[in-house]
Amino acid sequence: MRNANHAGQKARHFPLRIALLSTLTVAAITVISAVPAQASQLATEVADTSGGTETNLLLQNLLNGITFGLLLALASVGLSLIYATTGLSNFAHGEQVTFGAAAAFAAVTAGAPLLLAAVIAVAAGGASGWLQDTVLWSQLRKRRIAPMQQMIVSIGLALAAVNLLQIWMGAQRVRLSTSIEVRYEFGPVSIGPQTMISMAVCIVALGAVGFFLQRTRLGRATRAVSDNPALASATGISVNRVIRIVWIMSGSLAALGGVLLALYENTSDFSAGARILLLMFAAVTLGGLGHPFGALVGSLVVGVVAEVSTVFLPTPDLKYAIVMGMLILTLLVRPQGLLGRKERVG
Amino acid sequence: MDINDILQIIVSPTTAAFALAAIGLNFHYGLTGLLNMGQAGFMLIGMYGYAITVSQGGSMWLGILISFVGAILFALFLGWPTLRLRGDYLAIVTIAAAEMVRLIGRSQWLKEWTGGNTGLRGNQFKGPFENLSPFQPARIVEIGPFSFHTTIWWLMLVGWVAVAVAAGLFWRLNKSPWGRVLKGVREDEDAVRSLGKSVYSFKMQALIIGGVLGAAGGVIWAHGNAVQPDSMGRVTTFWIWTMLLLGGAATVLGPILGSVLFWAMFVFIKQLAPLVLPNLAPQQIEPLALAFVGIGLILLIVFRPQGILGDKREISLNV
Repeated sequence: MRNANHAGQKARHFPLRIALLSTLTVAAITVISAVPAQASQLATEVADTSGGTETNLLLQNLLNGITFGLLLALASVGLSLIYATTGLSNFAHGEQVTFGAAAAFAAVTAGAPLLLAAVIAVAAGGASGWLQDTVLWSQLRKRRIAPMQQMIVSIGLALAAVNLLQIWMGAQRVRLSTSIEVRYEFGPVSIGPQTMISMAVCIVALGAVGFFLQRTRLGRATRAVSDNPALASATGISVNRVIRIVWIMSGSLAALGGVLLALYENTSDFSAGARILLLMFAAVTLGGLGHPFGALVGSLVVGVVAEVSTVFLPTPDLKYAIVMGMLILTLLVRPQGLLGRKERVG
Repeated sequence: MDINDILQIIVSPTTAAFALAAIGLNFHYGLTGLLNMGQAGFMLIGMYGYAITVSQGGSMWLGILISFVGAILFALFLGWPTLRLRGDYLAIVTIAAAEMVRLIGRSQWLKEWTGGNTGLRGNQFKGPFENLSPFQPARIVEIGPFSFHTTIWWLMLVGWVAVAVAAGLFWRLNKSPWGRVLKGVREDEDAVRSLGKSVYSFKMQALIIGGVLGAAGGVIWAHGNAVQPDSMGRVTTFWIWTMLLLGGAATVLGPILGSVLFWAMFVFIKQLAPLVLPNLAPQQIEPLALAFVGIGLILLIVFRPQGILGDKREISLNV
């Protein structure tokens, strides 16, 4: 009984910790993004002097793959968390990613600096996650609508959202930043400063998610809910509140992923998230459906395979087809994914 | 507002093609409970199989044969790893495989056969079918409110006959012992297994039949339009799902009613939108209509999962 009280008191600190965590993340982003602003002038010189050197194609693609994998991980970790806690394969997650880019673009257009725009996008993404869960998903859970039915609801949501985003953003491509990328050369590979910031932000944010899941009470509660919601509920964890927080996290992480993806690809449009939706599913399934760190491992594999395969493929536009093939192959030989527990899934 | 446009879309080959694909999905989902999220992939396989054969000089019948064989092989390829697994695995694999077909089709790699991302033009494969048309000479014929070219009349005739045949097939198989086993699989796999039936084999048969119907729908769609890989993406599969769930899964006429209502409402919203919202730019009208499709799908699942004709007791989505 005393333990329960203790837990109850601790429970009041949950929002505080979340706030602290978000502040830390934002602070980290600020610090990191301040550095290359000074370095960029230097970079131009470096790039000029070493413009003649050839980069190694394989290593360069490996690096691109890791970068893309990290971005994918950031975008898909929410997908994995939602699957783990609610059993829902959320087909509208791609639109969450696009929404981040769209919100940032709207903020930039209104005159906000890029960093502020990114923060606004992350906040808007979190708000959209909260709104969705309040208005839609929690109601569906209350009505005991099966996860498969919820999946079709998410398909409907994706259809509605992608078209509303198209009405909002228009059909043309948009750019978040008009600055021209310079590239640093490190031996056989080259990388732009913007990409380096993106990678750093990804690593920090993913680290924060990992810390949250492993070290905080709420994170442990999240893992307990994903393990067995009924048992978690019986031990005094408020399952619905955990799921609400997972939705908020998922929305804001996807939005951050969307912003970084728009910067990485240097362009975005209303279907940017929809294009990577299946890559996210591939990553999450490959890593182990619902496994908290599966998304990271799976994303890195997907990113590296997609980029490195362009070296060997007859035409580079087949790179996503290779990922789809890999997904099917994974389910054939190891349906539980790389990190998933072996269980009976049939 | 032009009521004729709505009437024209209701009888159009596109509606027939989607009705066929939805009947195919009804075999998967309505009868067996399989979550096939790649029906557009089956359509694409069908239209590629047909159009490539014909454009490379094969006959129409060979084209149809190859298109069906392609769909059968695709079903075997999809079902083999996943039909033993939980339902959502089939959903992810089918959607991934359909996407793979589209990506390979639109790739520059096989451009010689598939035409790359622009696909195959109608004049490369429509010839043999249009030459069979009994409606000669070729001209525009008006019957009541419908005014079409004779080749479209011919296509519509074949398309709707195919829909009727498919619906008849569903009606007959649904009542047969075979259909009852499938419904048993849908309701309780283990119970069927304990009766000594091979669940895997029955699921595979349903996947193949539905897939072949999807391929047939694809061939008819290609005749009404052209082979375009990008118009057979994920979203197209979602439309087919909306049609099936709208009309009522596990019913004979549900998919047909769903397809007719879907396209009629689509055209209706497109015509209504500029009247209600005069500020809407022309290029925003279609996305708005499609957004309504999504919202409609959500409302359908939440408030009437059995659709218009369906029976709520029969269809529970607990896969």
